[in-house]
Amino acid sequence: MNDDVHLVEICNHGDARDAANAFETLYKRHKDFVIRVALRFVPDNDSALDVLQETFTYLLRKFPPIGPGLTLTASLTSLLYPVAKNSALTLRRKSDRFPHSDDVLPDDLPAATNDGPSDIPVLLRGLPDERREVLVLRFVDDLSLQDIATALDIPLGTVKSRLHLALKALRESPEAKKLLLS
Amino acid sequence: MTHKDNEFEELPDSLIEALKSADEAVPLITARVDREVLKMARDQFAGRKPAWRRRPAWAAVAATILIAIFVVQLDQPMQQVNLSMQAARPADISDVLKLARERAGDPAAQVEIDALAMRVVSLSPAGASQ
Repeated sequence: MNDDVHLVEICNHGDARDAANAFETLYKRHKDFVIRVALRFVPDNDSALDVLQETFTYLLRKFPPIGPGLTLTASLTSLLYPVAKNSALTLRRKSDRFPHSDDVLPDDLPAATNDGPSDIPVLLRGLPDERREVLVLRFVDDLSLQDIATALDIPLGTVKSRLHLALKALRESPEAKKLLLS
Repeated sequence: MTHKDNEFEELPDSLIEALKSADEAVPLITARVDREVLKMARDQFAGRKPAWRRRPAWAAVAATILIAIFVVQLDQPMQQVNLSMQAARPADISDVLKLARERAGDPAAQVEIDALAMRVVSLSPAGASQ
């Protein structure tokens, strides 16, 4: 994060070349994270690329001369996450062609089988959105609990509760048990 | 609901790997998108002046302040000499000698001390043309 703080500072105050280079470094460092987030909410790569572009446009506009400048108080990922998520959800609402997981009833999901790690996606889809989101941010994206709280704009205690419930469901699943035994 | 804080760090590697695999879409970020985003950044930052061109305003202010301080310092010995002479009674030659001892070795003060000595020993009334 400290390095991101330094790069953000250069984007705020550096000259044309330094600021562009610093922004390029930030982009290259975080673009995979942003597109991964986007693909959790939009159906295809093209839409995810639109989200990627919108997210970094948003970030860019924070810097002078367009914006007032950015002060990082948490990790940059916790700033990028809600931007990418909201952008993706807006795009999805517009296209209205990707079934939202909220609309999928558990009965509609394929039953979990004991065929191996491929059942984990099914298990994840079976979790309520808010629990799955926290679980993925913690263990897939490696965000700290505090960064998750910042990204989702919820109290730390709520993050812990959601994660606790998600982990409980995960640990009790036959798929997880099988993985733990293997 | 109760839960331990450290439970959030405890998930076996195999399970974490499975979670990561489950999330793993294979995104393809095209070179076109990279180019467009970075071009936007270059365009936005293009108007910024190099740092050395943004400094002169501050440098000029700092230099002005330094010069002002220097000039005031230069002027100070003379002011002190003048202040020493602002006594209630007219200055006489003993004042000049006392001042000369106090300011011995100060060439700037010496000029004024000489002028003061000349005035004190002059036969003409002060302020009269000689």
